[in-house]
Amino acid sequence: MSIESPRTAIVGLGITEMGKVYGRTAVDFAVEAITSAVADAGLKMSEVDGLYVNPGIKNDTDMRLQSTLGMRNTRVLATMQGFGSSAGQMVQYASLAIESGMADVVVCVYADAPLKEGKRAGAAYPGQARAMVGVGSLPFAAGLKAAPERYAVAARRHMHAYGTTSEQLGAVAVAARQWAQMNPHAQMREPMSLADHQASRMIADPLRLLDCCLVSNGAVAVVVTSAERAASLKQPPVHIWGWGQAHPGYVNRRDSEFGLVTGAAQSGADALKMAGVGVDEIDIRQIYDCFTYTTLITLEDYGFCAKGEGGEFVASGAIAPGGSHPTNTGGGELSSYYMWGMTPLSEAIIQARGQAGERQVEKHDLQMVSGNGGVLDFHSTLILSPHPKGR
Amino acid sequence: MALAPVVRDDFSAPFFDGTADGRLLLRYSPSSGEWSEPSARFCSVTQAADLEWRASSGRGELVSWTIKPGRTKDDVTTPDVVIGIVELEEGPWLSLWLPEVEQSRLSVGAQVVVDFVQPEGSEHLPVARLA
Repeated sequence: MSIESPRTAIVGLGITEMGKVYGRTAVDFAVEAITSAVADAGLKMSEVDGLYVNPGIKNDTDMRLQSTLGMRNTRVLATMQGFGSSAGQMVQYASLAIESGMADVVVCVYADAPLKEGKRAGAAYPGQARAMVGVGSLPFAAGLKAAPERYAVAARRHMHAYGTTSEQLGAVAVAARQWAQMNPHAQMREPMSLADHQASRMIADPLRLLDCCLVSNGAVAVVVTSAERAASLKQPPVHIWGWGQAHPGYVNRRDSEFGLVTGAAQSGADALKMAGVGVDEIDIRQIYDCFTYTTLITLEDYGFCAKGEGGEFVASGAIAPGGSHPTNTGGGELSSYYMWGMTPLSEAIIQARGQAGERQVEKHDLQMVSGNGGVLDFHSTLILSPHPKGR
Repeated sequence: MALAPVVRDDFSAPFFDGTADGRLLLRYSPSSGEWSEPSARFCSVTQAADLEWRASSGRGELVSWTIKPGRTKDDVTTPDVVIGIVELEEGPWLSLWLPEVEQSRLSVGAQVVVDFVQPEGSEHLPVARLA
């Protein structure tokens, strides 16, 4: 059995204050985002019968949010961990639960509160706390501890294979900042130039500070229900046309595609096939951008440009405001806020509803939304539209 | 020293016996004839479970690398840390520290040899040096 075209929609969105918001726990943020999303949909908490919780890297939230929220007789409930691919995955499993009749209204949430007052952002995610036991610890012991250095070796591989340059990565950062300047939710709205990017300090060569995403305290929740029910709710429905997942399982050996091809290639193709559309029909791209390089390689793997031509593509201005391929129209994780896959998903919902104000992209009939987790290890894709799609 | 100490478990005991003896052991599948990285539980090509420890030549080439800049704190400056992915002649990749490397000599395809160092409180650990 396969679902050729799901008949579900996202009907609620809750976004808390983002960034250096202190004195609140991840659970506090999650509760606010969930109640806000449900109210946004015009629903009551008593009508929610499903909850999926992405616990983040720190596992500060989980399915026990059910009790915190006072939910009763919940029909689907789980803590879901797909790292940065989780948001897309949760929406997919919510849709499957609704399609199968297991639940009617499912909330998906991500919350995080790693920033502590007086502590630098770089201390928020010091790398996985892993016991230094056995051969599996060798990469960590050698110094590949946190995300920047692990993505850096991937980025350098791409740069060597295809001639991608630091300036081209910088074009991704500059475009994201240009979009963020029009986003009231964005943490970073000061102008940024390519020269600023090139002058930013090296974090893990070849990745500079302005190649790296932000760190944010906050939460985002979304509400998923059937397309039929969505039609009578408060907000314009955001219909789910297709989805995909791909988790490449890179092996550390000769001929590995690590750094060169990601799960986006398979996941994106599957999502487009389910949606019944071609990549050329996508109006807006919301790409998981933990690093500038991630945006670039995902655009290649989704097919918006040829493999190896991502550098030239982004440097052409295609993804910036006014460009041919609007991408990360809220500023992404690089300049707006870092809520794992909820960052691209939340902006997609805002754009699909036509509620993006100054940054609204005029043609927003189809959007492609990515989630990326681990070090390019886990990938999810959604195709979203303000229009319902018949079977 | 940039390396963090590592202790052995039952699975890794032969590997660290090897490093103490100056030998790099990898996982080898007799049924496939393929080599896998030291942490592999299954053959990385066929997923066969018949892996055994076998000595590598300890020679390989650089696939990629990153440089974590040194930091100055309280007038003490730590050196840059260079970590590379090394493709061994047998095929597996290892992520290794390149101590005291001349950064201008770093290049994809650069020949390296595996050496061993012992941080305090640690087993002997493999590192890479440019050939």
